[in-house]
Amino acid sequence: MIEVQGLEKKYGDRTVIGGVSVSFTRGQVVCLIGPSGGGKSTLLRCLNGLESFDGGTITVGGEKLVPGGPRVNARALAAIRCRVGMVFQTWNLFAHRSAIGNIIEAPVHVKKVPIAEATERAHSLLKKVGLGHRADAYPSEMSGGEQQRVAIARALAMDPEALLLDEPTSALDPERVGEVLDVLRALAEGGLTMLIVTHEMRFAKEVSDRVLVLHGGNVIEDGPPSEVLDRPQHERTRAFLGLSRAPREAAGTP
Amino acid sequence: MASRVLQLILPVALAVVAGSCGGSSVADDTLAKIKRDGVLRWGADIQGGAPYIYEDPENDGKIKGFEVALADALAAELGVKAEFVQNDWSALVPSLERETFDIAMNGLEVTPARSGRVLFTRPYYVFASRLMARRDNKEITADLNALKGKRVGTLTNSFTADQLLAIGIEPIYYEGVEEPYQDLVSGRIDAVFHDDIIAGRYGEPKPELRVVGDFADGFYAIATRKEDLALEEAVDSALENVIQSGKMEEILRAEGIWNERQIGLRAWSDDDQRRLLGDAHVAPSLRWHHIVMFLEAAAITLAISVLAMALAIPLGLGLAVARLYGGWLVAKLAEAYVELYRGTPVLLQLYVLYYGLAPIIKLNAFTAAVLGLGMNYAAYEAEVYRAGIQAVPRGQMEAALSLGMPTPLALRRIVLPQGFRLALPSVTNDFIALLKDSSLVSVITVVELTKRMTITAVDVRSWLIPGALCAFLYFVMSYPLSLYARRLEARLARS
Repeated sequence: MIEVQGLEKKYGDRTVIGGVSVSFTRGQVVCLIGPSGGGKSTLLRCLNGLESFDGGTITVGGEKLVPGGPRVNARALAAIRCRVGMVFQTWNLFAHRSAIGNIIEAPVHVKKVPIAEATERAHSLLKKVGLGHRADAYPSEMSGGEQQRVAIARALAMDPEALLLDEPTSALDPERVGEVLDVLRALAEGGLTMLIVTHEMRFAKEVSDRVLVLHGGNVIEDGPPSEVLDRPQHERTRAFLGLSRAPREAAGTP
Repeated sequence: MASRVLQLILPVALAVVAGSCGGSSVADDTLAKIKRDGVLRWGADIQGGAPYIYEDPENDGKIKGFEVALADALAAELGVKAEFVQNDWSALVPSLERETFDIAMNGLEVTPARSGRVLFTRPYYVFASRLMARRDNKEITADLNALKGKRVGTLTNSFTADQLLAIGIEPIYYEGVEEPYQDLVSGRIDAVFHDDIIAGRYGEPKPELRVVGDFADGFYAIATRKEDLALEEAVDSALENVIQSGKMEEILRAEGIWNERQIGLRAWSDDDQRRLLGDAHVAPSLRWHHIVMFLEAAAITLAISVLAMALAIPLGLGLAVARLYGGWLVAKLAEAYVELYRGTPVLLQLYVLYYGLAPIIKLNAFTAAVLGLGMNYAAYEAEVYRAGIQAVPRGQMEAALSLGMPTPLALRRIVLPQGFRLALPSVTNDFIALLKDSSLVSVITVVELTKRMTITAVDVRSWLIPGALCAFLYFVMSYPLSLYARRLEARLARS
């Protein structure tokens, strides 16, 4: 459902993404891993137009994005953003709205869902992420883990066909990481298409159907987690994963 | 803003100082000092213009006018040189009292209010109070009592204003001499009652206007401090010499204001002087009706401030959004607006709006005051909101966009409410500043709190009580707002 063709992105002279072509099919859970500055987050942000790009095309569910930013792509972006949700590293909950207010905001004002209906739905989404009791809490009153779970519920409230998650657990205290991963695991089991930029290798191995390794703006590894994470082909991947020895030997160690 | 505050406090402070060092400890020393220094310092306001005192058009940096010539003649009689000291006309008497200059001479009419406070020499000019109206308005007749219910313009705290007040007419107060005639032509007011010198210079040249009639004679005299008896006597006899020698006629002819009325001043007797000053009755004390007028003026101040802020907030928000999210042209236009309104004095903007635009659009004074202040403050609000909006984390906008909200909706629902909250302390601050800046609108004839204080202070011959009352009323209006804003901030901080 997502097709990336020859995507290029530069900041001045620096190439952030250098001609990436990749496609994602419905129902897949894909983890994007790799060293910082490798282009993972930028690729993800290009997919729903939060970043503009300099070359190539992106097609999401038949809507095509071209270089030139939001002005050129206004119509396609409007459609894409309603179909693809986004979860941010720093969750970005609306600071002036309660948990429930955050969740119903877009359904009510973008999709014109009646408030009562949206609120009812929001309550069930909050229950789903384990926060049924925090409906009236404001972001400043919630822990990072709680906020991130509300952010996931907020994205789900728009009934997206796919969810883009940009390092959803990196900014959390270690003891809060588990609660968010539990939610994502449940979503993966439910069959939601997800693209996750993550550093949680164990989680990646457990939930993903496919792992992409980005380095220097290129996809240097692409395959099922058992192959990419246990028997990486690329020297850079091995270095990144901390596997100094040959992959077959490494696989033998616990 | 600081100067406004100063203007508010200064008279009070002055009154306190003047009160504490009153008495006659420095009596008679002024004349000795003048002789010693060889300089007679005289206070006047060059803004009064021709024929009194004005910048010489043919001689850069020099001043001219019949009072300038008279000051030189008087100084020569005393064997010293005259030195002009610029001072706002309405504050000539308080400035004289605090020894900013030795004598005040600038069309100071001998009024009961003034003669209770200063010493007056014999008059140097007799003027008539002249009523003028539009040529096509036959309703105005040579009967002051028939002016009741009409809008009559005059100068604040002037002899003509006193005459109107004495028969129960509340005049429209102007601070300049040209403006009332301009407003009379444009139809904002029905008549102007002013000294004949001013009428002759600024009113009569306008073909739309006619002289309705002349009323009670008034007199210009030179004022000295109450304790400077010797100086008053010396200046008085110097003036007598200037008048008797024909020098005065020469001076007045040079400015084209000599007339037969002036001949009477040659035979000015002590009896005449006593009669002139005779009605210097005891200053009226602050009465209940003064308090009522203060409260009315405070209501006007509050109404103007609230309405101006109600205009400044949405307009400022629009400008801030235009600067941040508008296209190149829109952003530039918004920036130009902000820079223009911030970079020029609000006083000037009020003048342009009220007088300058009068030929195109005839706003009433209250509307012009609200528009002028509102449009000016919008520029400041725009910058406050811009800072507030920029302080909202970028992630808020990104989250909104990623949920499919179009930019305008994301701004309205997500970014602006948070930006406004961040700006709230500054907005409160601006409103309190506006409350006090609103005193500027007195230049376009609105009688608000500060103007009422000035009028009353002259009336009761004291700045202390009216000044304190005025300060108290401003405080009573602004302090609850501070409290409310603090509570609002605390409440918003929770979410």
